[in-house]
Amino acid sequence: MQIERICILGGGTAGWMTAAALSYKFKGLPVSIQLVESDEIGTVGVGEATLPHIRNFNSTLNISEPALMKATEATIKLGIEFCDWGRIGDRYIHPFGDFGPNVNGVPFYQFWLRLRELGDSTRLDEYSLGVMLAEMGRFTNPAADPARVESTFRYAYQFDATRYARFLRKYSEDNGVVRTEGKVVEARLTATTGFVESVKLDRGEWVDADLFVDCSGFRGLLIEQQLKTGYEDWSQWLPCNRAVAIPCETRGPLMPLTRSTARAAGWQWRIPLQHRVGNGYVYCSDFISDDAATEFLLANLEGPALASPNKLHFKTGRRRLFWNKNVVAIGLAAGFLEPLESTSIHLIQEGITELIQLFPDKDFAQSDADEYNRRMGLNFERVRDFLLLHYVATQRDDSPLWSHFRNLTLPESLREKIGAWTTRGFIVKYEFGVFLPPSWIAVMLGQNLRPRGYDPRADAAPKEILVQNAAAILKSVRAAAQNAPDHAAYIRQIGAASDTAPLVAMRSQAP
Amino acid sequence: MTPIERIVICGGGLAAHMTAAALARQLPPTMQITWVNGRDSRDADLFFGGVAPPSAYAFNLSAAVPEPRLMVDTDTTFSWGTQFVDWSANRRSWVQCFHLPLPIVGGVLFHHHLWRQGVSALEPFLLPAIAARQGVFAHPVAQGPRLLARSEYGYQFNPYSYKRPFEAAARALRVKVVTADVANIVCREGEISSLHLSDGQALEADLFVDCTGPDARLLSRLGVEVTPGRRLRAALSHRTVERIGAPCRTLTAREFGWQCDTPLQRSVARLTVYSPEQESEAFAAHGEPAQHSGEITLGRRSVAWTGNCVAIGHAAEILEPLTQAPMLMLQRGIERLLTLIPCSRDMSVECREFNRQSGEDYTHAEIFNRALFEMPLKANSPYWRAACEVPPHEKLAQKIAQFESRGVLVAFDLEPFHNEDWTILHHGLGRRPARYDRMADRIPEAETRAMLDRAPKDIAEFVKTMPAHHDYMQNLIRYLKQKKL
Repeated sequence: MQIERICILGGGTAGWMTAAALSYKFKGLPVSIQLVESDEIGTVGVGEATLPHIRNFNSTLNISEPALMKATEATIKLGIEFCDWGRIGDRYIHPFGDFGPNVNGVPFYQFWLRLRELGDSTRLDEYSLGVMLAEMGRFTNPAADPARVESTFRYAYQFDATRYARFLRKYSEDNGVVRTEGKVVEARLTATTGFVESVKLDRGEWVDADLFVDCSGFRGLLIEQQLKTGYEDWSQWLPCNRAVAIPCETRGPLMPLTRSTARAAGWQWRIPLQHRVGNGYVYCSDFISDDAATEFLLANLEGPALASPNKLHFKTGRRRLFWNKNVVAIGLAAGFLEPLESTSIHLIQEGITELIQLFPDKDFAQSDADEYNRRMGLNFERVRDFLLLHYVATQRDDSPLWSHFRNLTLPESLREKIGAWTTRGFIVKYEFGVFLPPSWIAVMLGQNLRPRGYDPRADAAPKEILVQNAAAILKSVRAAAQNAPDHAAYIRQIGAASDTAPLVAMRSQAP
Repeated sequence: MTPIERIVICGGGLAAHMTAAALARQLPPTMQITWVNGRDSRDADLFFGGVAPPSAYAFNLSAAVPEPRLMVDTDTTFSWGTQFVDWSANRRSWVQCFHLPLPIVGGVLFHHHLWRQGVSALEPFLLPAIAARQGVFAHPVAQGPRLLARSEYGYQFNPYSYKRPFEAAARALRVKVVTADVANIVCREGEISSLHLSDGQALEADLFVDCTGPDARLLSRLGVEVTPGRRLRAALSHRTVERIGAPCRTLTAREFGWQCDTPLQRSVARLTVYSPEQESEAFAAHGEPAQHSGEITLGRRSVAWTGNCVAIGHAAEILEPLTQAPMLMLQRGIERLLTLIPCSRDMSVECREFNRQSGEDYTHAEIFNRALFEMPLKANSPYWRAACEVPPHEKLAQKIAQFESRGVLVAFDLEPFHNEDWTILHHGLGRRPARYDRMADRIPEAETRAMLDRAPKDIAEFVKTMPAHHDYMQNLIRYLKQKKL
């Protein structure tokens, strides 16, 4: 028996992304999709920066890029600039893209390591078109032809997640999703199986469904409050548990970059949108008070604040099961990893993609849930290790938070990965997981983990040839970067500029 | 940091030949490579079977053995895969062919459209399988005919001649070849300090590569044990033929094991693999005097790398040559070694990572072979009982359960066999998922029906235009010889 009714609980980014994808995928099939949300409950609007994968999500749904960018105040994101992470004063960019081409199966950075030993001081970044474009504030659409240097980077967006949800709401409703205003006050479970049968809204109405997608945020209305699924706490590795967010006026040119600056008790984000800049301080409450954190953030904004501080509490970790009985948790209900690498929306997207691939029928075969949980578990764990890398690949010990990381026992998989890198610049690879070797390289090198040796195969070619090849790559990267238009000009050029003028703080809102 | 300068490779078989050429081609000239090409190891090369995977093309090229060399200097032929005949009690017959990923139609894996229409046979949709049955071949080229472009090919080979161009390449590339046997291995503190050879000389090195076959003479000297598995014997012989046969092995299940005929350039190789307890029946069925024979124990060493000694080929693991698994593992072992050639004498990091990867690779290749026995026993004979008694790995159980439940392919990191190999295998063995992907229903039924009717006809028509394997090879070799390649 096939599923006929799907109920999505919660209308934040997760809820509307799920609604949009399911309504597109089930178009023409006898399935009704209902989304329950309450205007009274604010949405968190997880991270305003995304990963390149979101472009697949949008293009699968036939969403036009300029229309989306315009509607969400979106800018281009070529990567993240990390400041003060290795040491205070350091900065590096983690780009979406490669650092030079492979030569006879050997990654280019191995040759770069050899060049360093030969006394060359060129940064690896200069071989990466993604980094060069980002530093220069330029952008052009990546080329499809893999032979061209313009094909060696990817891009994502920085956008207003609340507007993205609104955009997808219209899309979903056009595709037949029924939105119901209301708060869930009660749920009815089948006595024998413990499956959720229906939920009761505050106005007394009962909503039945075969499958419930829990996008209700941290509290996990069904997955936790009803099914008592349990939460795996990862605070021992990722102790930050609070955030405060404040938008502010834009100063300076529009950069295609998110910025993350390491602070005494956590880190601060800066996300440029077309009309304003999003800012936030993610911190650990053991090391700083809420008031001090807010004060710190306000003191470190580039322009006047545009709204009062928005405070968030969370606990890093994951739900023990993402799919339990007939409830699938997506978004914050599934787990939370701090937005250091913009993975929140990505994990939502993965959750949706896997749900579609493993879509159940009314029998709810346990094997479907098992496979879903296996795949999502791997996704979460691998993101966790990558986030943790940022905190432990550091020479900082200037505050209790950084000392905490210095004394931390790492998960075995991460320890091996760091060991293989520092010994010989070797990346322990996996196939399933979002961060590919260039990401690991960017962070490890950027935070001063310098390999002691390199792949002996990099010594196979004579020095002269190596120097010549490296110079040619450098030249092609520079030329391609010089030819690209300015980021803001590009946005105008493709018709993605929003109609909103840059926001200006009213006197009463100013701190 | 002291860089490593001297590498010694030991062994006289296929693994040593391929390792020597690949290392010589890719390592810097500052690393001296000495190859002790001895005759003392037990000959087990027949257990590499007769089929190399599509990745052999690139592997060989990176070992300075381009395809034309292989075709002119050995009796290698092209391969679309292996035709299994009479497999298991269900007497399944199918072509386990090579293929690029199968098409995704309407966002749904191809096989779901088949089941929606109640079509159970995948083979008519696989050009290499049809071409294999018709005995025809042409090189797939990306810009060439669309139907051919999704195909992939490997090689059919005789391990005793396939290795020759690798030796030539190794010699041409500075490898110092010593033709002697290892007489004595001197160890100290878990490492090999020197090898004493039958010609009286002693060799020291920073890294020793053990390619001595199933005995793993170096590795076992360092105390590395083998995990015991099934014992198998094999006999190999070559029958001269005038015409080159099909670009496909034919592997027939028998009570004593199986028999495989592999068409080569001037002969058909017959490999009979059997349980030692059924030797007389196997000999009778083999029907020709064996030119090579041997006995091995399937399984792997507990680690492939310890101290300053790393094992490649049968010295590390032995898989049944039912599929391309043995050659696949050999190539991947050499490639893994190349990515982990130590950059200093402290090679503990390299050793751990090599062992981690090699353990996973072995498991993933083994479960592909093992999947062939998750079927009703062909016969209540020692071979079939032993093969089916080995408990299947949990990963295999997951793969089968998910496929049977809903046609989902469970995949793990960097598996040697790909989703399409598994899809073809499941279909070949007659596995049917209980459900198909519901998204397939979004395509109007008539449209799906038309697509499924048309594709096999197009493939059959196209295959008719392809040359016979024999003719294609003759022309190719004539051309290559004229060009003096």
